[in-house]
Order: sequence, then C-alpha cells, then structure tokens
Amino acid sequence: MQTVAIKPKNGIKISAEAENISPDKFAGKSEKDIQSLEAWMGNQKTTLGELFTIKAEGTGAVADVKVVMEGDFSRVKRIGEGMTAGLVMIKGNVDMHLGAKMSGGKISVSGNVDSWAGREMKGGELIIEGNAGYYLGAGYRGETCGMRGGKITVLGSALDFLGEHMCGGEIIVKGNAGILAGLSNNGGKIVIEGSTSRPGSEMAKGTIIVGKVDEMMPVFKLEGTEAVDGVSYRKYTGDVIVNGKGVLYVKE
Amino acid sequence: MELLIKNGAVFDPANGIAGDKTDISIKDGKIVDKVSSGAIVIDAGGRLVMPGGVDAHSHIAGAKVNVGRIMRPEDTRAGIKPRTKITRPYTGYTVPNVYAMGYRYAQMGYTTVFEAAQAIMKARHTHEELEEIPIIDKGALTLFGSNWPTMDYVREKNMDKLAAYVAWGLLASRGFGIKVVNPGGGEMWGFGKNVTGLDDVVPNFEVTPRDIIVSLMKVNEMLGLPHSVHLHCNNLGKPGNYKTTLASMELAKQVKPSKDRQVLHVTHVTFNCWGGTNWGDFESKADEIANYLNNSENVTTDMGQLIFGSATTMTADGPVQYANAKLLHAKWANGDVELEDASGVVPIFYVKQVSIHAIMWAMGLELALLTKDPYKVLLTTDHPNGGPFVNYPEVIALLMSNKKRQEEIKTLHEAVHKRTKIPGIERELGFNDIAIMTRAGSAKVLGLLDTKGHLGVGADADVSIYDIKPDQTDPSAEHAKIKSAFQSAAYTIKGGNVVVKDGQITATPMGRTFWVDASVPDEQKEIMMKDIRMKFKNYYSINLANYMVQDAYLTHPYVVRAGVIPVEVS
Amino acid sequence: MSNVITDALCPFCGCMCDDITVVVENNKIIEAKHACKIGAAKIMGHHRIKAPMMRKDKNADFKEVSYDEAINEAARMLANSKRPLMYGWASVLCEVHKKGILLAEELGAIIDNTATVCHGPSTLAVHEKGLPTSTLGQIKNRADVVVFWGSNPVHAHPRHMGRYSVFAKGFFSEKGRRGRKIIVVDVRKTETAGMADEYIQVQQGSDYLVISALRAILAGQAAVVPDTVGGVPKEQLVKLVDTLKAARFGAIFFGMGLTQSMSRYKNIDNAISLTTELNSFGKHVIMPMRGHYNVTGFGQVCAWETGYATAVDFARGAPYYNPGETAANDVLTRKETDAAMIIAGDAGAHFPANSVRHLAKIPVVQIDPYWNPTTEVANVVIPVAICGVEVEGTAYRMDGVSLRYRKMIEPTHPTDLEILEKITKRVIEIRGE
Ligand code: SF4
Ligand SMILES: [Zn+2]
Repeated sequence: MQTVAIKPKNGIKISAEAENISPDKFAGKSEKDIQSLEAWMGNQKTTLGELFTIKAEGTGAVADVKVVMEGDFSRVKRIGEGMTAGLVMIKGNVDMHLGAKMSGGKISVSGNVDSWAGREMKGGELIIEGNAGYYLGAGYRGETCGMRGGKITVLGSALDFLGEHMCGGEIIVKGNAGILAGLSNNGGKIVIEGSTSRPGSEMAKGTIIVGKVDEMMPVFKLEGTEAVDGVSYRKYTGDVIVNGKGVLYVKE
Repeated sequence: MELLIKNGAVFDPANGIAGDKTDISIKDGKIVDKVSSGAIVIDAGGRLVMPGGVDAHSHIAGAKVNVGRIMRPEDTRAGIKPRTKITRPYTGYTVPNVYAMGYRYAQMGYTTVFEAAQAIMKARHTHEELEEIPIIDKGALTLFGSNWPTMDYVREKNMDKLAAYVAWGLLASRGFGIKVVNPGGGEMWGFGKNVTGLDDVVPNFEVTPRDIIVSLMKVNEMLGLPHSVHLHCNNLGKPGNYKTTLASMELAKQVKPSKDRQVLHVTHVTFNCWGGTNWGDFESKADEIANYLNNSENVTTDMGQLIFGSATTMTADGPVQYANAKLLHAKWANGDVELEDASGVVPIFYVKQVSIHAIMWAMGLELALLTKDPYKVLLTTDHPNGGPFVNYPEVIALLMSNKKRQEEIKTLHEAVHKRTKIPGIERELGFNDIAIMTRAGSAKVLGLLDTKGHLGVGADADVSIYDIKPDQTDPSAEHAKIKSAFQSAAYTIKGGNVVVKDGQITATPMGRTFWVDASVPDEQKEIMMKDIRMKFKNYYSINLANYMVQDAYLTHPYVVRAGVIPVEVS
Repeated sequence: MSNVITDALCPFCGCMCDDITVVVENNKIIEAKHACKIGAAKIMGHHRIKAPMMRKDKNADFKEVSYDEAINEAARMLANSKRPLMYGWASVLCEVHKKGILLAEELGAIIDNTATVCHGPSTLAVHEKGLPTSTLGQIKNRADVVVFWGSNPVHAHPRHMGRYSVFAKGFFSEKGRRGRKIIVVDVRKTETAGMADEYIQVQQGSDYLVISALRAILAGQAAVVPDTVGGVPKEQLVKLVDTLKAARFGAIFFGMGLTQSMSRYKNIDNAISLTTELNSFGKHVIMPMRGHYNVTGFGQVCAWETGYATAVDFARGAPYYNPGETAANDVLTRKETDAAMIIAGDAGAHFPANSVRHLAKIPVVQIDPYWNPTTEVANVVIPVAICGVEVEGTAYRMDGVSLRYRKMIEPTHPTDLEILEKITKRVIEIRGE
C-alpha cells in the first residue's frame, strides 16, 4: 500500500497541467521522486513539488496506490490522465480533463469538475459529488469515439454535450444536463435523472434515460410506454436520420 | 564546401553500381570527380549508401492537404514533437504540418518529393506550403484532365492550342507536369455525376476520357515535358476497375515518347487493380497489371501501398470521395474548383481483419513483386491515401523479405489467401531494386535523372547513408533491422549539406521548387489566350490578372525548360 | 502624379473582390472604382494612429515614443509573461500570420484569431463532419438554388450576390437571377430576405431543430417530424426539402446567425450533414460567409504551420489545441492571461465584458493602423502600415482561394511584418539575457 497526500501550496491562477498526478506515475516512487515529477504552469516548466505539498508513505504496485488530494485544485488540469488502476480521492474542485483516457481505477471528487472530465475514458470509475462542466465523457475534437467504457457518476448537474460520441460505458447524472446530451451516441448508456434538452441527436446506438426533456429533437419515433425499474417511460427510437437504433426513454 | 564519403557500400543503379565500395566526392552541392585533401570525410564504414530518396507521388502541400489538417485535429495530435533549437514543432501522422513533412522525409533519407495534384487556381496555396517545407526539393503536378480549355481543345482536336494551354497552365501554376485525375469526371462531378468508363461522353463538352488522355499524352510529348502524363484512372474505387486501368494503359501505344522515359505513368495501382463486380467478390488483379507491364515498354506505375491503421484519403477524384464517405459514414470534405477540377478528403482506418483492406494490402506488393523491371513500379503509399509516407521502410522490408510477408499474412483476413496471389510469391527484392524503386526509377519517371536519383558526376549531392552493412545482412531474416535502418538514416546529405545525422535533423536548409517552363510559339499562345480571356470574362470568379502564381511564391525556383518539338504520332 | 492600378483587391470583407480600379494621386488614393461603399471606405482609409504610444497606468494619457522604445517594451511585456495571448490577425496578410506563429512559438503563447467571435464554431463543425464546398465560381456557373441561412449579404457582403451567388451569370446559369431560386432562413426578415423568393422564419435558437427536421424529411422519415418545428410549419419544411432535392446545384451560405445562436457549432455541424446528404440527389455545397477579408487565411496558415486552424497553445513548446480551453476568450474569462498582444483585430469591441475587464488589468500591446476600443485598454500601441493597401501579400477568400494583394500606395508606417520581426528578435535577446 502506498499513500500519497497532495495539497496545493499557493493559490494557482494560471492552470497547472499535472498529468503526472496519477497512481501509475507514483507507484513505487519515493516522496522525493514524486515531488520532482514534471508539471507545467503556463509556459513554465516546473515540478509537482513546486506546486504542491506532497507526502508519500509506503510503496506498492499501481493498484495499491492511493492518492489523497485536499484543497482547491480548480486550476489543476489532467489529474489522473490515462490511469490504469489505483485510487484518487479529491476533496475539493478540479479543473479540466480529470481522468481523461483512464482505463482503470477510481477517482472521486467531493466538489465540482471542469469540462472534459472522463474524456475518452476506457474503463474505471469517476465519481463527482458536485457538478460537471461541458463534454463530460466526450471525445477529443474530430475523434469518432468519446468514452468507450467505465462509469461516471455525477451527483450534481452537467453542462452541454455530455457523452458526445460515446461508444460504450455509462454516465449517470443525478441532476440536470445541458443541451445535446448523448449527441452521436454510438453505444453508451446515459441516465439523466433531472432534465435536459435536445438529447440523443444523431444517436446510432445506445440508451439514454431522462427524467424530463425541455425540447425534443424532431427525429425520434415514439414506440409507446415501457416500465424501467418500475417507473413508466415513453420509449423513443432514433435518430431516424442516421437510421439509428438508439433508445431514448423519457419519464412520463 | 567539400565532402568525401568513404567506404560506403554504394547502390547507384543508374550508374551500374551495386554494392561496390566507392568513394563519393561532393563539392558545392554537386557530385564531383574528386575533392581536395581538405574535404570533410564521412566514413561510411561499409554501410549502405544510396542517392537521396525521390518520391514522385505524394500529397504534401496545398488546399486538400490543408483541408485534411483542418478537419482532422485528432490526427494532428497524433504526431506531436515540441520545437527544438533547430526544428519547429512536428505535428500529425497522416496530415503532418509543413515542418514534419520536410523533417520526416529527410530523416528517412529522402531529398526530393513531388506533390501529386494542384488545381491551377489553387496553386498559389500549394506553393505557399511548399515554401514552408524545409530541407527537401519539391515540385507539384498540375491538374488538366477536367479543365474546360482542355476539353474544348480536345473536342476541337486542336493540339496546338492544347499545347499552348498546358504550357501556360504550367507557368500559371508553376507546375512540373500534367496530372490527369478521373478525366472528365471532375467536370461531371460539378453536377454530382461521374463518368463510368473511357468512352462516356462528358455533357456540354462532348469529349470522352479516352480523348482527353490521348490528347494530353500527345501534347505532353509535343512539349517535350520532362515527366509524362501522370494518370489517376477512371473508375477508381470501384470493383472491376482493373479493366479500365488496362484499357487506359493501352492508350499509351498511340503516342511515342519524346524522351527516354514512359509516355504514361499510371499512379497508385493499389486503388485501380480491382477485380470482382462488388464488395462480395472483390479480388486483386494486380497480377494482370504486372503482366501488362512485363509486356510493354511505355507505361510506368507506382504502388500506392496500403498501410494498416489511420490514413486520410485525398484526391481530385471528387465522386469517389463522396462514395467513400457514404460507405464509411465518415466526415467528408469536397473542394470543387471552377472550370478546373474537383477534390475530396475522407479519413479512413485500414483494418487487418477487413477483407477488402487485407486484399488491398496485397495489391501493391503483388504489383511490385510480379513486375520484373523495378523501373516500372515506384515505391509509394500515395501518401496519405494508402498510408503516411513514414511507412516506406515498412514497405521496403515487406518487399525484401518473404518471411516478413508470411508473418504478416498470418494476421490478416483469410481473403488474402483466396483473393490475392501474395501468399505464393517468393520473390525478395534486393538493395539495388529498392534503390531503383525509391531513387533511380522515380527520377527517371519524373525525367530528372540528369541531377536526381543517382550519384554520378554532375548529380545533385543528395545522398543517404543507412546503418546496414549489406554484405553482412540478410534482409529476409533481419527485416526488422532493415525497417529500422530505413526509418532513420545514419546520414542524409542534401545539396552537399548534412541535414540528418543518426536520424536527427542537424540543419534545415531551404530546398528548391522545380517547375517546367515550356515554350510555344508566340502566335500559338496568343490564339489560345483569346479563349482564356473569354473564360475569365464570363466564367471565372477572379480576374486573369490575379490568377497566375507570382514569383514571390517561389523563392528558390529551379526551372526546367521544355517546349514545342516535332513528335511522331503512330 | 496620378497613377491607376487595375485588378486591385479589396481588403475588407471575405468576398475579396479583385476587380477594383484604384486611382492614386501623390501617394493618396482618391478613388476606388467598382468597390462597394464599405470596401471603398476601407481602401480610402481614415484617421490613423500617427506614432507609437505608451503608458504605464491605463488611466493615464498615452505618450508618443519611438518605434524602438515601443518594440522594446512590447517585447519585455511578452517575454516576462507566463501565459501570453496573441489575438487578432483578421485584417492582415498571411505573411504576417507566419511571423506571428513563429513569435507565439518563441514565447510559448496562445495564438488565436478573430474567428473565435464569428466563424470559429464553423471550424469545430468541420472537425466533426468535414466540409462539402467549392469555389465561388462553381456557384456562379452552376447554382440554381441558393440558401442564405443566418446570413445577410446585402448588409455584410454587398457584392457577393452580384459577383457570385444571386445575380451572377455563368456557363450553366446564363439567366442569372431569373434562373435561381433564392431562399433565406433567418430569425428576422433581413434585407436579403426581402429580395428572396422564399423566406423561412425560424424561432430564435431553433435552427438546430429545423435542420434536423429537414434531414429527417430528406431521409424519408417525415412521419416522425412534428407539425411545427422551431416555429416553421411542417409543410414549409417539406416544400423546402423538395426544392433542395430538385436542385441541380444547391449552395448554402451561412452566417453568424447560425454560428452564434444556440447550439452554435452544432448548427453548422448539422447543416454540413444536411448538405452531405443532399448530394445523394443533386450537387450541394455549403460555405461560411467569412467577415474580415483574411480571417480564412489565418486558419489556413495556422493549419499548415501547426496542424491546427486556430486557438493554438504553445505553452509546452508543442502545439496544443482545444477551443473551450485554448481560445482567447477561454483564457481571458478565466483570468489566466497575464499579457496580451492584440494585432489587427478588435478584442475591445467584440469580446464579452468579462474578458475586456481582464484585458484592462494586464499589460496589453496593440499593433494596428487604427485607434479602436482595444486602444483604450492598451499600454503600448504600435501603428503600422495597412495590409492590402500599403503592403502586398496573400489572403484567402471565403472559399479558400488565395490571391495576392497589390500595393496601392507607399506606406507611411512600418509594416506588421517588420514590427513582429523586431519584437521576436528582442524577445530572443531578453530570454537569452
Ligand atoms: S463586397 Fe466586400 S470585398 Fe467586395 S468591395 Fe465590398 S467590401 Fe470589398
Ligand atoms: Zn495521389
């Protein structure tokens, strides 16, 4: 078991890029080695140790690494990028690209996350107790697949383009989502317990379950009502434009 | 500056040198007889030495390449390298930025590359990019196959006017030669249609692809252009198109070459040697094309080898790209140019377990291995259509090692066994063959063998040294070593400057841009210009005075002169 | 001394009219024939910033300084910055863009252009769907159906209709306007709508829904489309689809009405798909109505130099691109930018108040021939020659055709190119010190 505790040193104004904050990068490294891992702030190359107070204890394989972060990380990007295992627990808010491309392990955040959390995620779990920004579980610009696997849970709300180009995996939002949730869904499952607008445009595959839709896309075929877990939903299929086999459930 | 390369195992096919230990002397950017004792000495230590690589068909600059970049940020992020003291940043894999384009070619030992298609109206853009590509010499072929003046003159059977138009078009675009893409199809694509064979009539212009190809071959030889007509055949991308390809090759018999080279270069054969009638019975007919090449003397080709993984298809063949986009459900860019031609860009991902892709992979290799004379098949991937040019070393290794091919075949869709001949082909090419397919042959096909593609006295001092000792290497067994050596040259020397050492860029001198200034008698030009002026007055959306590429866009030009000469037409 | 320049190019809007005849007397342009009113006004010029100016305190008045002083101070501000932004680039030539990108690399800056506030969203849509388009002459010679969607050429591109899209006659369109059906889709009845054959009024923010409905009808799925979509009756949508399907050559020109309304780039994304799908019936193309003459050119140059069309972040030495994160407004609203260079673009006038407030707090260098709202937030102002009038060079028309601007008169100020080169040189010196 290896525990790494991280706290921000000073207020960070210019976003830091800290893709090295990850169980994969920390596993088996000493406190000093972790502190000297590269980080960037604007155009200045620096180290994790310069930006954060870092305490490390014990040692272990990636899966046995636990990173505990406390404080304001709302200007720290790319935490947990590409991680394959282990645990990252964040008490506070974080900046963009949290857990991007992660394929395993678990990240939990007590506060809010900025855009592109879980971008191109392949596996593992992301739990966000606050709100998420734009493009939650989406892809990179121009790419045909966003999230491919794993699970994202948001206890608060998320902004626009949630799950864009999803090819797999699951996103659950307890609150509301912005416009065009599940755009071009190609096989993922999205649950929005609150409301959203224009969900499922261009969806070819996958499932979207929503509590309330402010504005429906005019591209879905109403198939009737269906009960999911004892709750009654209107069931739609589409997007008819792309001859889609996606299913959209809207609570009655 | 003087340079002496000693102890190299030199492969210089144009001069009949095949692995001999020969010294190469360089002075003022040229290969010379000998140098003074003050020359800087590079000891090749028995390693492989070849002329700098020459690529006669690659999409490196211009409107459609840039459209590829703009529509594919996901590709751009694939090849990122930060700037260094010497180099600007590298980006992209299938659509690299201008810097990566020059650096990566040089790192593979290539020193001369030709962009395969530019519309005259967009040539300024091509040259803006060529000017930014470091190190290599370059040039661009100009599209003529669907241009309205071309079709008018073909219909009128007025070869004098057509020759004058081609000469003027080359000047206007600072182009190097005549490119013909799906002749007639570009015009028809203007209304979303296409031609389906050599004898379809293009409406309103009343010409056929056959007429266009033959007429352009004739004027190509009338003008004595260094390169021949460079043809992307009709029906590309359709099963059964090998018949159109063979019929197009037949046309070459109607014209005699004005120089010691082919009269027709048929490009990226991987995309037009397709048998079958649909995707179900799709098969390779590369053997038929090879057979044709083995029995004819006036046609050359290039492979357009398919590379598994990401590619970006880009071509002036507009309709084929729309079909591709629909088939693949992929994003699609189209870029028709008024009065001239079309173009389209579509990303693709070639997969080993997709039967069509596996068969296409075999086609390029079959063509190269079944054609006896390597001068008739150049090594290309039709970058980035078949795959990015950085994969040339992979292709070289495949050609040199049956063992590697058999290993690869094991990982492919089984269709490769039934629908291609590749599993049973045992031929393994040698260093001399490779030197022809990537150097001497390309230079000969381009008509540049005087200064490019060889190491004789008077040639440009473009030399590559690879970390292989030919006499101690078995390419068949050690194919991985072959591949890695060709990926990263021990030395690349461009115009007498060491630009790469141990695979790293050491200097970034500016290369030259080759273009052809072909003269026609003034009266002939004047008569033709009357028509052109009319076209600008009525149809073009810009003024004639703003059309031609200005000198400012060629800061390092290299002009090849040509012009009207009598030609025998059989 | 009088001098006449023919075939000159107008450096105002994305039409890049290249048939202007300019009359010059004593190095002063006295007439710009053929140009429209807004073009002529640009060519004739107006009150210029005379000399470089500086001030420490943004509330204080400017003091005139020498070019060397201004360049030195600009270089110092930028070289000391950890998150520099270089923004603008709309009304300068491609040669300037190249120098700008080199400086951005040198500084580790973000470089972004004015597309971010107009047609930037179009680029994001191109990443998703590509762009089926053509040169403008293709439309002039062939188009029989032309749609202006959220664009108003009468107002913003006065000669567009005459030269390319509506009245222009060509090979297959010898009847000009009479042979063309003109359709305007907009939230309000614009001047262009007033002269169209058909006007379709879309509810504010509903373009995306309307385009999807059109695509569904085109796909033979009219049954699922509700009776009205975005305020447009279904019959009208069906009729529009029929018109488009019957077209031999259709062209859609979209403007900021589409790029800057709700769903933004997804509107364009959707319209591109509509265009693509229409190609199964006839020929169809789509084109953004780009505003400033060379806003397209920046995208082209930036793409071939960096691989990305705009909003490139060089902070880590290699280009990184992600609008929403790396565009000018993204870093300004987050108050990350600690120094900015605004060149040939007006951030002061076009950015949201939040961004402008941040600009007012950080060191700002402005490079521009003219005084504009950005000047109000600048510390260093460097006046330059006017590209396309006093400086020759390259620009890209809205359809991607590049043309070379002629020099009409001798400049009275140094060029952008010279200024950027000097700043770059000075930055390297400072960094080396
Ligand atoms: S339409 Fe545009 S380019 Fe043409 S003259 Fe007017 S402002 Fe200038
Ligand atoms: Zn090609």
